[in-house]
Amino acid sequence: MTNVQPLIRIQRASRIFRMGEVEVPALADVDLDISGGELMVILGPSGSGKSTLLNLIGGMDRPSAGHVFYGGVDLSQADDDALTRYRREKVGFVFQFYNLVPTLTAYENVQVATELARDPLEPAEALAMVGMGERAGHFPAQLSGGEQQRVAIARALAKRPELVLADEPTGALDLTAARMVLSTLQDLNRSRNLTVLIITHNPSIGEIADRTVRLVSGRVAELHINEKPIPAMEVEW
Amino acid sequence: MAVLNRKLLRDLRGSRGVLLTVVVIISAGTGSFISMGSAQRILIASQRAYYDRCRFADFWVDVKKAPLSVVERLAELRGVAEIQPRVVFDVILDVAGVSQPLTGRLISTPARGFEDTINGIHLVRGSGFSDDRKEEIILGESFARAHGLQPGDRVGLILNRRRQSFIIVGTAISPEYVYAVRGQGDITPDPEHFGILYIKERYARELLDFQDACNQIVGRVVPGTGTDVDAILERIDRVLDPYGVLALTPRKRQASNRFLSDEIKGLGVSAVIMPAIFLLVAALVLNVVMSRLAERQRTIIGTLKALGCGDWQVLGHFLGFGLVVGVLGGLGGIVVGVALARGLVGMFKLFYQFPSYLFELYPRLFLLGMTISVACAVVGTAKGVWKILRLHPAEAMRPRPPGRGSAMFLERFPAIWRRLGFRTHIALRSLARNPGRTFTGVISCALAASIVLTALIMRDSIWFMGEFQFDHVSHSDVDIGMRDERSFAAVREAGFLPGVDYAEPLLGLVCDVRHGSRARRMSVTGLSPRHRLLTPMQRDLKPMAVPDDGLVVSRKLAEILAVRVGDRLELTPVRGRRETVAVPVRSVVDSFLGLECYADHRYLSRLVGEAEAVNSVQMLVDPLRLDDLYAALKQLPNAQGVSVRANAKANIQKTLIRSISFSLSVLIGSAGVIALGSMLNASLIEIADRTCDIASFRVLGYAPGPIASIFFRQSLVILLLGMGLALPISYALVHVLASAYDTELFRLPIVIRPMTVVASGVLMSAFALASQAIVYRQIRTLDWLEGIKIKE
Repeated sequence: MTNVQPLIRIQRASRIFRMGEVEVPALADVDLDISGGELMVILGPSGSGKSTLLNLIGGMDRPSAGHVFYGGVDLSQADDDALTRYRREKVGFVFQFYNLVPTLTAYENVQVATELARDPLEPAEALAMVGMGERAGHFPAQLSGGEQQRVAIARALAKRPELVLADEPTGALDLTAARMVLSTLQDLNRSRNLTVLIITHNPSIGEIADRTVRLVSGRVAELHINEKPIPAMEVEW
Repeated sequence: MAVLNRKLLRDLRGSRGVLLTVVVIISAGTGSFISMGSAQRILIASQRAYYDRCRFADFWVDVKKAPLSVVERLAELRGVAEIQPRVVFDVILDVAGVSQPLTGRLISTPARGFEDTINGIHLVRGSGFSDDRKEEIILGESFARAHGLQPGDRVGLILNRRRQSFIIVGTAISPEYVYAVRGQGDITPDPEHFGILYIKERYARELLDFQDACNQIVGRVVPGTGTDVDAILERIDRVLDPYGVLALTPRKRQASNRFLSDEIKGLGVSAVIMPAIFLLVAALVLNVVMSRLAERQRTIIGTLKALGCGDWQVLGHFLGFGLVVGVLGGLGGIVVGVALARGLVGMFKLFYQFPSYLFELYPRLFLLGMTISVACAVVGTAKGVWKILRLHPAEAMRPRPPGRGSAMFLERFPAIWRRLGFRTHIALRSLARNPGRTFTGVISCALAASIVLTALIMRDSIWFMGEFQFDHVSHSDVDIGMRDERSFAAVREAGFLPGVDYAEPLLGLVCDVRHGSRARRMSVTGLSPRHRLLTPMQRDLKPMAVPDDGLVVSRKLAEILAVRVGDRLELTPVRGRRETVAVPVRSVVDSFLGLECYADHRYLSRLVGEAEAVNSVQMLVDPLRLDDLYAALKQLPNAQGVSVRANAKANIQKTLIRSISFSLSVLIGSAGVIALGSMLNASLIEIADRTCDIASFRVLGYAPGPIASIFFRQSLVILLLGMGLALPISYALVHVLASAYDTELFRLPIVIRPMTVVASGVLMSAFALASQAIVYRQIRTLDWLEGIKIKE
């Protein structure tokens, strides 16, 4: 960790979902600081609030109570336009099921991000960074799960974000593909000092992180500093 | 974002089936707007050019006989620019090879410069009058064509007790007879039995004993605003009052102009109503299509927003669908519209005689049509995608919450529900759980069905109008009109004509009929006490006998004069003893042609101090001796017109059939586009959404037919609900149309027959079956194996 002030500060953040007459508290009074350049893994079982926390950090949702600061700016008070700009300029997302546009090629899927950014990478360059340069002209349906996820990572990177948020990036992949994806994320964190947050239910993945946070029932149950993160290619499960 | 445009094109290709149905509906709507708008503009331009070139009159004055010296003074009246006296008479025509005496309207015209007079005639064929012959006529073009007559042929006129032969020196048309009807009560031209003839003015006066006199004045007013034609006519009436003014007709009430103007107005109304219906359906259907598309692309929308796309960027992308659909629909509409406009103009040529139709393409209309098309499509799209676009990215990427899964209303009645079978259960639940889609389907169906039903009702109404007039009100076989009043002896003489079994007198007396400040100058018809051949009637075919005293008035006339049964009307005959008498209204009858006012013949004569006289005779004739009667009629000295009821009825029906057929075809075709398009669209969407279900059925062993029956059941429910809703919509539409056609010239009765409702149901069912045939094909060719693979 290189920054003294946290890049991201979450203060007593709660998120309640209303489903008709039922209220579902997904997050309750979460306090968490995340430093710039950190690789953090957020662990927890299904329904623990991991994705909700990621969405709040990523500006895709607002907390019902509390605050989420990024670089000192309170995202919970930002309007839709401000959150859009935040996501465009600061954040890269990687989703469990890749979320690629099926009617666009790998190259064009990355282009969706580069046409938004002010100073993006070239789509070919981004794809090359994740080892997908040769498959640029293929549609998602023509790629394996791992390949699709790497294209999704390329799309996230192409905007030159400060923060990469990965929601169960290996959830749909086999071990080999998962290692490759995790390795890519780890390399980006190390080589470009990107802040990377990975959420997963798989505790083994926590071994590659600088810190792990365990959520249970929407609350931070444990915060663990990993003295010796292992290379992603050595992860086993 | 350029890359999203590529996505757009590929998505369009993937959804081309459902989007094509919307494009077709929009094309039909825009096409109807452009066709009717174009047709209206063409008619207006043609009318304006023709009227200007031939100096169409601003008013007509019919008078018994007025001296030219008096008439010429009319030109000095304030507001009058110029006048032209003429001699106009209806005469019997004898055309070679035609046994029936025909009616011709003889109009005097200058031998030279007849193109430049008021109501100048436009020579179509021939060379016009020569200097060396008197017995020359220029014949109305439509009459000439109907009888294969051309310049050089001869036609006989019965004048002054003898047949005189005239040579045709040309054929012509006139702005006065663009729609060549004989007079009040006629709603269709009858070129086989009625023609216009132009004769040299000097010779007409000599022949008809009108030296230094005339019986009609046509005139034009000083151009510019503020010229009150009605006020001018009132002044003319005062000047010509001693000479018996029979009618004062401003241009707006001149029969031909009236029909033409009403047609133009009707086109304007249709150019709004028809496209509005189509485009409403298109917007509704597109709304359903796009909300489904947005729902299926929910995750992508969330992803785009997560990447930093703003709401407006994503909206703009989806509006691209609407834009493409709208532009394609607009282009299709232009093509359809121009073709339909040509068809309409072709139909107009059957009824309206212009020297030429100024057929043009109207780019502004195209642009407006395109704008409306795009606007409709964009609105439909925006409405469909807006809800999903407003979601936060996180919410958008969450799977859609499961739809309502509770029991529907009908399930509370297990005894009924259990009998329906599982396929019907699936169909009904699907309808209940997709209320937006179901609503769109029902409304579309209702609008389509109401178009069909309204069109068929209008056809029935027109038919009833003809039957009412010619089967129930009129019972005579042949009517003779006379130039001058004769005594009752004329009736006895008519009875002796060959083939005549029975004859009845009619007296048509032109009177000013007034009630308070409202008045009309019209012919009051005197019927004999035991009248059989002309029976005033109620709409429900209840005959009304003419009372011994008082008047029987038609409903339209009662409305115009604001009279009810028991009120008194003031009658002032325009000739003879011109004293005003107050006459009670004894009953009101229905009439769909012209304005009618009846009285007992003797009562009427007494009222106006006339000796009992007749100017028309109605006759029942032995059909085997018609030719004998016709030959005798051609010799009658005082006859100026012969009308054969069977011919009049056949002509109206034949003419109206032609115009109705075209309109009906277009309307039913339009309804088909709406019904087929919307039902097919809904079914295709269902198939796409339920590919997994269909695949499961196929795995279980169901053939495509039973699977298709689920969709058929859905369409059937929508069809039945739509038909039910169509009944009140049609009822309202028909009343709106009937009131639009409620004029002094004719009214449309509203006739709703049970078989008509059945017929519209059959037509709608045919459309539904056509859409189901396509659905069946889709299910049969569906790659269901692909459909059962679990997709993330």
